Amino acid sequence: MTTATPAPSSPAPEPGKPDKTAEPGKAASTASGSGPDREGPPGRPGALRRLTARTPGRPPARRLLVLALLALVAIPLAASVWGSGSWPDALTYDVRSPLDELDAWLVDNRESHWLFLYFLLHISNNAVSAVDGVLALLQGLGWTGVTAGAAALAWFAGGADLGRRALRTAATALGAFAVIGLLDLWAPAMETLALMAVAVAAAALIGAALGLAAGLSDRCERLLRPVFDTMQVMPAFAYLLPFVLLFGIGTPSALIATVIYAAPPMARLTSLGLRGADPAALEASASLGANAWQRLLTARLPLARRQMLLGLNQTIMMCLSMVVLASVIGAGGLGDEVFTALSRVDVGQALGPGIAIVLIAIWLDRTTAAAGARLDDTSAPASRGRAWSVRAAAAAFVAAASAAGSAALGRQWPEQWTVDLSAPVNTAVDWITDNLGSGIPLIGGTVTWSENFARWVLNPLRDGLQGAPWWLLLLAAAALALLTGTWRTATTAVAALAAIGAMGLWPTSLNTLSQVLAALVVTLLPGVAIGVLAARVPWVDRAIRPVLDVMQTMPQFIYLIPVVALFNVGRTAAIIAAVVYALPAVIRITAQGVRETDPGALEAARSMGASTGQQLRHVQLPLARPALLLAVNQGVVLVLAIVVIGGLVGGGALGYDVVYGLQKSELGIGLTAGAAIVCLGVLLDRVTQPAATRDRR
Amino acid sequence: MTAAPANPSGAPSAPDSTPDTATPQAGDPVFSVRNLWKVFGPKAGRVPGDTSLTGLSAAEVRERTGCTAAVRDVSFDVARGEVFVVMGLSGSGKSTLVRCLTRLIEPTAGALHIDGEDVLAMDRARLRQLRRTRAAMVFQHFGLLPHRTVLDNIAYGLEIQGVGRAERRARAAGMIEKVGLAGLGERRPGQLSGGQQQRVGLARALAVDPEVLLFDEPFSALDPLIRRDMQEEVIRLHREEGRTMVFITHDLSEALRIGDRIALMRDGEIVQLGTPEEIVAAPADDYVRDFVRDVPREQVISVRRAMRPALAGEADTGVALAPGTVVAEAIEAVARSGEHVRVVEDGRTLGVVDHARLLAVVAGLDADPGAGTDAGTAPDPGGSHTAGGEVAAV
Repeated sequence: MTTATPAPSSPAPEPGKPDKTAEPGKAASTASGSGPDREGPPGRPGALRRLTARTPGRPPARRLLVLALLALVAIPLAASVWGSGSWPDALTYDVRSPLDELDAWLVDNRESHWLFLYFLLHISNNAVSAVDGVLALLQGLGWTGVTAGAAALAWFAGGADLGRRALRTAATALGAFAVIGLLDLWAPAMETLALMAVAVAAAALIGAALGLAAGLSDRCERLLRPVFDTMQVMPAFAYLLPFVLLFGIGTPSALIATVIYAAPPMARLTSLGLRGADPAALEASASLGANAWQRLLTARLPLARRQMLLGLNQTIMMCLSMVVLASVIGAGGLGDEVFTALSRVDVGQALGPGIAIVLIAIWLDRTTAAAGARLDDTSAPASRGRAWSVRAAAAAFVAAASAAGSAALGRQWPEQWTVDLSAPVNTAVDWITDNLGSGIPLIGGTVTWSENFARWVLNPLRDGLQGAPWWLLLLAAAALALLTGTWRTATTAVAALAAIGAMGLWPTSLNTLSQVLAALVVTLLPGVAIGVLAARVPWVDRAIRPVLDVMQTMPQFIYLIPVVALFNVGRTAAIIAAVVYALPAVIRITAQGVRETDPGALEAARSMGASTGQQLRHVQLPLARPALLLAVNQGVVLVLAIVVIGGLVGGGALGYDVVYGLQKSELGIGLTAGAAIVCLGVLLDRVTQPAATRDRR
Repeated sequence: MTAAPANPSGAPSAPDSTPDTATPQAGDPVFSVRNLWKVFGPKAGRVPGDTSLTGLSAAEVRERTGCTAAVRDVSFDVARGEVFVVMGLSGSGKSTLVRCLTRLIEPTAGALHIDGEDVLAMDRARLRQLRRTRAAMVFQHFGLLPHRTVLDNIAYGLEIQGVGRAERRARAAGMIEKVGLAGLGERRPGQLSGGQQQRVGLARALAVDPEVLLFDEPFSALDPLIRRDMQEEVIRLHREEGRTMVFITHDLSEALRIGDRIALMRDGEIVQLGTPEEIVAAPADDYVRDFVRDVPREQVISVRRAMRPALAGEADTGVALAPGTVVAEAIEAVARSGEHVRVVEDGRTLGVVDHARLLAVVAGLDADPGAGTDAGTAPDPGGSHTAGGEVAAV
C-alpha cells in the first residue's frame, strides 16, 4: 500500500489528523456528556446515555477478574472434554471439501448458469472490454502521446501556469515515464495503467456514492462504518481469492478485487468531509433559505473537497498497490514482471519493474498532492475563458505530441533507447551475497543474521505458540482485548481465533502469528523511538519526512525486492519487509501523538524544571497514550499484510497456502487460508484496538 | 404584511398584551413571540405542557426527565425599526432563541408570528421564503464559504434565491462599498482579518435586503477595538436604514450601547425586559442587579429619572436639557454652570437636577430609595421605545 496504508484506522499522515482529532473530540464529548448524569444519584435510570455509555468507569482490572472467574469454570471443563495441547480435532470442521465442491460446480456452470449468464458474465465482460478499451487508447496515443498526456495532467493539477509547482509536477511525470521507457517496460506499464485507470474510476465513483450516502444519512453511516472498519483490517491478499472463485483467474477478478479494496478510503473521507464541514457555514446556508440540494451543491460538497481529494489520492494509491499484487491472479502488467522474477529469485529482473511501479506511484501521488495543495492556495482562480483556452491548448499539445511521435519515432518505445538493468543488478546482488551475506568478522552478515533470527527468535516463538494449550491462547486473546477494549471486542477476538481452529488451520496460523509478533516487536521499538525523537528534535523530523513520504507511497509488493537481495528468501526476509513497510506509519503516528500533547501541560512541567526524560515520562508519553495504542494497532495491521504476502518469498504459513491454492487451483486450500488471514486480522485488530477507535463501534 | 394583530390565543399569561396598542406609530410588531419553549432531549414535547415540570429549575428538569430546557416560556414582541437585544451568559438559551425565530431550531411549544403570520404553521417552501427574503442572520463564527471570493460570498444569499449571476454580483458589489470593504471583492475569506470577515457576513445578510437582521453574537470573536468599530457600524446602519434588528450578545456593554430594548435571559427564561436605562436603574432581581453592578450608571441613566420636582424659583434658572440626556452630560453642565440644570420638554420644565441628585446616580443611591417613584415614571420612558417596564417575573 501507500499513503493509503496508514489509512486503515486513521487516514495516513496528514489524513490521520482529521480522523484522530475527531476521535478524541468525540471521546471527550461523550465523557462530558455523561458528566451531568453522574451528578445524580448513581443507579437511577436518568438518561438514554446511561444505556449507551459502555463501561468507561469500570477499571480493566475488574473486567479481568470476571474473565478469570469465567475461565476458572470453563477451562477445566473444556480441557477435560477436549484435552489440552493443540486445537482439538473434535472441534475441527472440514470446510475445504465443500469449498472445493463449490469451486468444481462453478467451473462446470460458469458458462451456463443463469447467475453468470445474466449477471456475473456481464460484469466480467464489461471489465475486460473497459480495460481493453483504455489499453487500446493508450497504445493508440503512442509513447509520446501518453507521456505528453501524463505531463499535461500533472501540469493541470499543479495549477496550469508557469509557476514552480505546476512545472515541477509536470517534470516529475515526464521523468517517470522516460525512465519507464528506458527500462524497457513500456508495454507492461501501459497494461498496468489501463487496469489502474478503470479501477480508479470505478472505485472513486462507488466510493464517492457510498461516502455521499454515509455523509448525509446517519443510518447509512452506522451501516457502512463497521464494514469499512473491517475491510481496512483485512490484508490485501485476502481480497483476491473470493473473486477468483467467481470469475476465475484473469482481469475481471483483479479489477473487481481492486475496486472493492480501494473504494473504502474514498467513501470514508467523503463522508468525513461532508460531516466535518464548518457547521457555521452550513447554518448560514440554511439561514439564507437554501434547500437541501442547494446546500449540498454550494456548501457541503465544496467544503468537503479537500477531504475528497485526499480520499482520491488514497484510493489511487491502494488501486496501484492492489493492481500490482493482483498479478498473482493474472492481472498482468508490471506486477506480473515482479512476480515471475521473484518466484525465480531473480532480483535483477524484479528491480526494473519495481522501479517502474514506484515511479508511477510517485507520479500519481505528486499529481493529486499538487491538486490538493492548489485548493489551499487562496489566490484568485483563473477566469473561465482562460481556463478553457488552456485546456484546449493542452489537448492540442497532447494530440500533436501523439501524432508527431507516432510518425517520427513509432508508437512503441524505441528499442535502442533502453537499458538493461538485470545483469549489473544481479552482479551486485551476487556480490552482496558473497561479501555481506556471511563471514564478516564479528558482525556476521545479512544471511547469518537472517538465519540466526529465524533460529533464535522465530522458531522458539512459533514452537511456543504451537505448543501452548489451545485454551490458553483463547484466554490470552480475551484478556488482551479486555485490557484496552470491551467485552464485545473480547468476544470478537476469541471468536476469530476459534474460527481459525475450527477451520483446521491452527498450527499454520500460529506460524503466521509468530512472524507477525516478531515483526511487530522489531517495528515498534525503533518506530516509537524515532517517532519520539522526530517529535522533539525538529531537524530529525525534517530529515525523515521526505523519506517517509516516499516510503508510504510505495505498493506493498515492492518491499519484497530489496530484502530478498539482502536476506535471501525465507521468513526473515518477509519480516524485514514487513518492518520496513510498517515503520513509516508507526513513526508518523507516534511523532504526531507526542507533538500534539497539550502544550500547556508540557510548559508547566518545563517551568517546574523537569528534565527531558521527565518531560517524556511524565507528560508526553502518558498524554500520547492513545496515539501510541493507535501506532500499535496500525503496526499490527500493516505487518500482517506483508507477512502474508511473504508467502511469495518463502514466508510459508498462511500466505504460502494462498499462493499454493492459486497456482495449483486448489481453491479450497487457498480460500480457507484467506479466511484464516481475515480472522487473524480481526483478532489482531481487536486485541490492539485503542480506546478512541473503540468508541465508534 | 397583513395588519391583523397577532394576538395569539392561549396566551393570557403573557404579561404584555398592551404593547400592540401602546405603540401606535411603530405599527404591529415584526416578531411576536408567546410562551415559546425549546426543550432538547428524549420526549421533549411533554415538558412544556406538564405543570409539574414547568415550575422547576433547569437542573431539576434535567434530573427528572433527562431533557434540557434551553428556552422556557419566553414571550416578547420586536417592534418595527427597533434594535432588540437578547443578552445573557453562555448557556442561557439566547442563541437557541434566535434560531427558533426562523426555525433553524424547531421550537417545542408556543406561538411565533412574523408580521402577524404564523411561522410555526409555515410549510417548507414558505419557511424557505421567510429565510431567503425576510430575515437574514449574521453568525458568531461568520459561516463564510472559504472556497468563494468575498464577492461571491456576499452574493450567496441572492444565488440561493435564484438571482442571475450578473445581477447578484452587481448587487453584492454595492454591499461591499456599504460595509467598507471596497477593493477586497476578489479576495478569499481566509485572507481577511476577523473584523473584515464579519463585515462580509454582514454584507451577505444585507444583500438580500431582509426585513429583519438577526445577529448571533456577531462580534464575540473579535478583538475589543475591532468590536467597537463593528458596533459603530451596526449603529450607523441602523440609523441610516432603520432596519429591525434582533441582536444576541453576552456582553452587557454591547447590549447597552446598541439596544433600544434588552431582554435579559437566564437559564432559558427572560429575567427582565426593558430599556437599557430601566435595566440599570431598576434591576428586577438580585441576578440582574449583580449583572449591572459595574455599569457606569451616569452613561445610561437619563436626567428624566434623576430629576426631582423643581422648588420655587428653580424652574426659571439653569441650563435646559432634554429629558433623554444622560446624566454624564448633565454633570458636565452642572460643573460648568455651578448650579442645577432644568429638564425641559416642549418648553415645559419637568424638574431639576442638582449636585446631590447627580451624585446619587453615580453612587448608585437613587435606585433603592427612589424605587417607588421610579416605578411611577417607568411606564413612559423614551419616546422611541415601545413598552417599558414589562418585567417577565421569574
